[in-house]
Amino acid sequence: MDTTDFANLLVSALLLAGIYAAMSVGMTIIYGVMKIVNLAHAGFLMLGAYFVLELYERLNVDPLVGSLLAFPVFLVAGMLVHWLLVKRIPVSDQPTLASLLLMFGLWLVLQNIGYLIWGNSDRSILTPRTLSSWHLGPITIPTVRLTVFIPAVCSLGLLEFVLRRTWYGRGVRALMQNRYAGRLAGIPVEKMARLTFGVGIGLAGAAGGLLAQLYSFSPDFGHGFLLRSFVIIVLGGLESFWGAAAGAMVLALVETFIILVLPAGYQPAIAFSLLVLALVVLPGGIAGIFAKKHRWA
Amino acid sequence: MRATSVQMGHFLNYRVAAWGTTLIVLGILPGCGIGPNLTRLLFTALVWIITSVAWNLLGGFTGQVSFGFAVFYGLGAYTAAMGINGGLNPLAAFAISGLAAAIASIPIGLPTFRLRGPYFAIATIGVSEAVRVVMTNLSFTGGASGYRIAEHGPFRPLEHYYTALGFAGVAVVISAWTHYSKFGLSLQAVREDEEAAADIGVNPLKAKLMVHLQAAALTGIAGGVYARYAAYIHPQGVFAFHTSVAILLMPIIGGAGTVAGPVIGGFVYGLVQEELVAAFPQFHLLLYGALLIVIILFEPRGVVGWLGKLRVFIERTWRKSAAASVG
Repeated sequence: MDTTDFANLLVSALLLAGIYAAMSVGMTIIYGVMKIVNLAHAGFLMLGAYFVLELYERLNVDPLVGSLLAFPVFLVAGMLVHWLLVKRIPVSDQPTLASLLLMFGLWLVLQNIGYLIWGNSDRSILTPRTLSSWHLGPITIPTVRLTVFIPAVCSLGLLEFVLRRTWYGRGVRALMQNRYAGRLAGIPVEKMARLTFGVGIGLAGAAGGLLAQLYSFSPDFGHGFLLRSFVIIVLGGLESFWGAAAGAMVLALVETFIILVLPAGYQPAIAFSLLVLALVVLPGGIAGIFAKKHRWA
Repeated sequence: MRATSVQMGHFLNYRVAAWGTTLIVLGILPGCGIGPNLTRLLFTALVWIITSVAWNLLGGFTGQVSFGFAVFYGLGAYTAAMGINGGLNPLAAFAISGLAAAIASIPIGLPTFRLRGPYFAIATIGVSEAVRVVMTNLSFTGGASGYRIAEHGPFRPLEHYYTALGFAGVAVVISAWTHYSKFGLSLQAVREDEEAAADIGVNPLKAKLMVHLQAAALTGIAGGVYARYAAYIHPQGVFAFHTSVAILLMPIIGGAGTVAGPVIGGFVYGLVQEELVAAFPQFHLLLYGALLIVIILFEPRGVVGWLGKLRVFIERTWRKSAAASVG
């Protein structure tokens, strides 16, 4: 492999990492504040993709604008889901099976509503950008990858800004560190949880819209991305956004460069094996670390 | 174990009668001229019951929710298929299916059981997806295009039916034994609190591995029984994520951690799924997803819990009306 190929692969890994980070961050924020493993994330990615598709096909809204519009719509939907379902399960400072199974049930419902509405054929969003590409010297960049990468990174930057600079963001970070201390300091935990769930789902919807411009999708869309999101947030240490970005980078690099040594058919297995490896190699799992941290609290 | 023997007596008096009746009814039903379609439905339900009861050993009694039982189901299916094609007696092939799945459960369980609760659940998704991808690409099992079983002689649905019924009976006996034995109590201790269980002398990892092994063997046998009946298997079917999902949903909806729950769940799922799939391919999963949400929010013991509440309600109203008529 010469340097040009290497540079091409590196650039495509970087572009992939951006969208991976944007896709997993919604899950990270929900996990951080509520300790809920959001299996329904995949369902909202899928709905985001169809939301953007419908806007594009019916109203000719550009998919990038559609993804932007998906955020407020899914934010409201997420808050509704929290109000209807999530707040009814017992609060815990460790992830529970009840919340996992609840979100899993929700995923099944969303997925099969998707099948009822859109059938099971593969769809894709084709814009003039889809097939064009940029040339930076010897490096070729598909335009659509770049136009998806930029909003993905911008959304991460914006989220980071909100978390660092606003009252809401400081509250979120406080709750991530210690729920009880946060409550004592006067943070309205219930309201924050609802809003955060909305933000997490909103990010999922927008990320689904972005992903839809890169891949074809069906109502089962999101399944593979759900597992990739897990890998990313587990690699990144579950609660940190820079960790999620680093995890996305690791996964994107591994997935991109593994095709040099493994047949492409095996590529999906990489994420899944990496997931098990990441969970197991961290001693006692992430849960173990939390159990220790909270025993002193 | 005084408490256990008391429970055992209670168990023998009331429940064996109910189970025996069920078994006899299911045993003589095909003889009553119910037709091939209903026999097929009952056969499917029985296979699902075996997997559902097996999942409940690990997920219900021991509290380790696994999304990875399709691995054992698929492995059992492929092992039996290859055994039968290689000229083995079907029963011997099923035994090897169970053995293969049991052996596979050890390398899967050893790393994943270091994880707790949701992390274990997620890791099992990873394991089962990785296995599915590998099986789709493996050439000697036919890869994604599947594997065909060439069995000579006529197709005898009743033989399949009674095989499934026999294994379902064995599964229920193992489940009941596990529930009421000392081993079962140690599993329930692990479910409630691993540290406390370890303090009173239960080795949680060993207990989990043991029950995982049992569950895997039963699931593998179910996969084998199904494979022989279907005569054609492929990775997107037996190893699919929705197979894992089905195996998880049945016992939870029926009532995880009970003996009867997984049987009820498997029976209902088998009948409903087979009937609905033809008419509305996705509707049954929508229904079961909604049911799962309702069960998690309101009645963790599933259908069995609802039946229990119903019994209490009926008894109370009956007593009230009896008291009213006396007064």
